[in-house]
Amino acid sequence: MEIRNAASAARPEGPEIKSKWSGPKWKRFKMNIPLLIMFIPVVLFYVIFRYAPIGGLVIAFKDYNFYDGIINSPWVGFHYFEILFQDPRTLEIIRNTLMLSLLSLVVGFPVPIILAIMLNEVRSMAFKRTVQTIVYMPHFLSWVIIAMLVSTAFAMENGMVNRIVEQITGEAYPFMYEKVSWVAIFVGSGIWKDMGFNAIIFLAALSSINPNLYEAAGMDGAGKLRQIWHITLPGIRPTIILLLILSMGRVMEVGFDQVFMLQNSNVNQIADVISTYIYRIGLQGAQFSLTTAMGLFESLVAFILVFTANYIARRFDQGLW
Amino acid sequence: MRDSRGEKLFYFLNYVLLSFIAISCIFPLLNVVALSLSGAGAVASGRVTLWPIDFSFSSFKSLFTGTPIMRSFWNSVQITLIGTALSMLVTIMAAYPLSRKQFYSRRFFTMAMVFTMIFNGGLIPTYLVVQNLGLVNSYGALWLPGLVSTYNMLLMRSAFEQLPGEVEEAAKIDGCGETGILMRIVLPLSKPMLATLALFYGVGYWNSFMSVMIYINDTAKYNMTVLVQNMIKSTSMIQDFADPTMLASMTPEGIRSAAVIVMIVPILAVYPLLQKYFVKGVMLGSIKG
Repeated sequence: MEIRNAASAARPEGPEIKSKWSGPKWKRFKMNIPLLIMFIPVVLFYVIFRYAPIGGLVIAFKDYNFYDGIINSPWVGFHYFEILFQDPRTLEIIRNTLMLSLLSLVVGFPVPIILAIMLNEVRSMAFKRTVQTIVYMPHFLSWVIIAMLVSTAFAMENGMVNRIVEQITGEAYPFMYEKVSWVAIFVGSGIWKDMGFNAIIFLAALSSINPNLYEAAGMDGAGKLRQIWHITLPGIRPTIILLLILSMGRVMEVGFDQVFMLQNSNVNQIADVISTYIYRIGLQGAQFSLTTAMGLFESLVAFILVFTANYIARRFDQGLW
Repeated sequence: MRDSRGEKLFYFLNYVLLSFIAISCIFPLLNVVALSLSGAGAVASGRVTLWPIDFSFSSFKSLFTGTPIMRSFWNSVQITLIGTALSMLVTIMAAYPLSRKQFYSRRFFTMAMVFTMIFNGGLIPTYLVVQNLGLVNSYGALWLPGLVSTYNMLLMRSAFEQLPGEVEEAAKIDGCGETGILMRIVLPLSKPMLATLALFYGVGYWNSFMSVMIYINDTAKYNMTVLVQNMIKSTSMIQDFADPTMLASMTPEGIRSAAVIVMIVPILAVYPLLQKYFVKGVMLGSIKG
C-alpha cells in the first residue's frame, strides 16, 4: 500500500506512457533496485532487534518460562503489574528513579546553557579553545573511570576532598555513604561528565545571533547581564525548547552504568533504580515477566512524556513533529 | 569602544570561573596519572596530589604481569574496531537510501525507525531475542543489538541531504549509478560527519559495560571496562592475580590508576584528531534538528 502511494505521488504529470518497460515508473524502479538491496540488512536489523523485542513485551502479561517459550507460556493478565504497584519496594524504586532523573534534569539542564554563554563571551580564542578541549573530554570517558575518579576524590582515607574537610572540621565526612551527599555526588558527576559536550549545541545556536543586536544594546546602555537576558537567551530559545523535549523522554531513565558504578550498600535505599532493578531481579533472578512489566511501564511513561512535551511545544510553534 | 567597569568585572569573573571549571575537569585526571606513576609507599600514605612521588613504573608492571589487562585490552580493541566498522556500514546503508528522494516509501521507513527511538522493548525482551539467536557469550551480542543508532542515522541522513545536488546530477549524466554516486561523491564529501559518527560509535563500543556484563559469561572475553570495574569492586581480585613477591611493592590504588590510564590513552590519542570534526558534526545535526 505504502509503496504504491509513494510511487504514484512522485510520478510527474505528463503524457501517459503505455509501455510497461519504459517511462518514469520503470526508471524509478531501476534506480531503486540497488537502494532496496542496500536497505535489506537495515530492515532486518530493525525487525529483529527493535520490533521483535516490542512484540516480546507480551510476556509482561504472561507467566514466562523457558520451556514454553514466549508464545506458549500461559496468560496471566495484569497479575505482574498488580505485584509491581502493591510492593512498597518497587514503588520506592520508581520514586528513586523519578527523583534522581528529575533532579539531574532540573539542576543539570541550565548548566550547559550557562557554560555556552560564558564560552561565547570569551575574547581570547586560545583560551576558549583550551577550555573547550578540556571540558568536552569527560563525555568520552566511561563511567568506570569517572566513578573511580569520584570515589578517589571523595574517599574517607586520603581523598582529596576529605583532606581539605579534615583540615577544617577535624574529621573526614563519609560522602559516598550518606544519602544526601551521595545524591549530590550522583547529580554532580552526571553534570560534570556531560556539561561541556551538551554545550556544543548551544554554542552553535549562539553563533547564529546577529552581533549587531549586542552593539545596539550596548549603545542603549544595557550592561552585559541585561544583554544576555534580553538578546542571548531569546536567541537560543528554540534550541532550549528542543532539547528540553528530548530530555523529557529520558525522565524515566537513569543510566545503568552511572548508578551501578556509584552505588554501594549504604545508599541502596535511595540508589536502587528501575534499570538496576531489572538487571538484578530480571537477569540475575530470572524473573522475566515481572521485570518486563516494569520495563513496559517505564517505556510507556517515557512515551507519554515525549508526546506531552511535544504537544505543549507545538502550542508555541516549537514542536519536533 | 572601551569597556566600562562593569564589563571589565564581567570578563574577569568569566575567565576565573571558566578556568575553575576547566581545572575541575583536568585535576582528577592529573591526580590519577600521578598516582599511577608514584611509589607504593607514597600512594598508601596519601601524599600524592598532582605530581608523582618516588617516581616508578611498578604499578604498571604489576598491572601488566599480574592481571589479565592485556588480554582484555585486545578484547576491547577487537570489539571496538569490528563493531565500529559494522555500525558505520549499516548506518550508511540506512542513511543513503533514506536521503534519496526517489526511494520507495522513505517516509514510512523513517517514521518506523524514529518510533523505536521513543518506544522500545527494553532490556528483557531484547535479551530473549539475543538468547534465541544463540548469541549469548559471543561478541555478536555486543555488536548486533545496537548496530544502528537511529539518532546517528538521522544525523548522517541529513548530512547526505545537505550535499549540493548539482554534483550528483553531473555524475548521473556521466553514467554513475546509485552505488557509484554513494562511493565516489556522497561519502568523500561527508567526511566530517563520518568521522564524528565513527567517534561516537567507537567510544560507545570502547566504553561498553552493561552489554558485556549481560551477554558475556566467559571472563576471558571480558573487555577492559568490565575487568577494571571488577578490579575496583574487589581489591582481593588484584591480590589473587598478583605474584606474592610483588605485593609489597604495589597498592590497589596505584594499580587501579594505572588501569584507568591504559583505558584513557586510546581515547586521548584519537581525541585531538577528531575534535574539530565532532564539533562540526554535532553542529550540522543541530541545524536540521
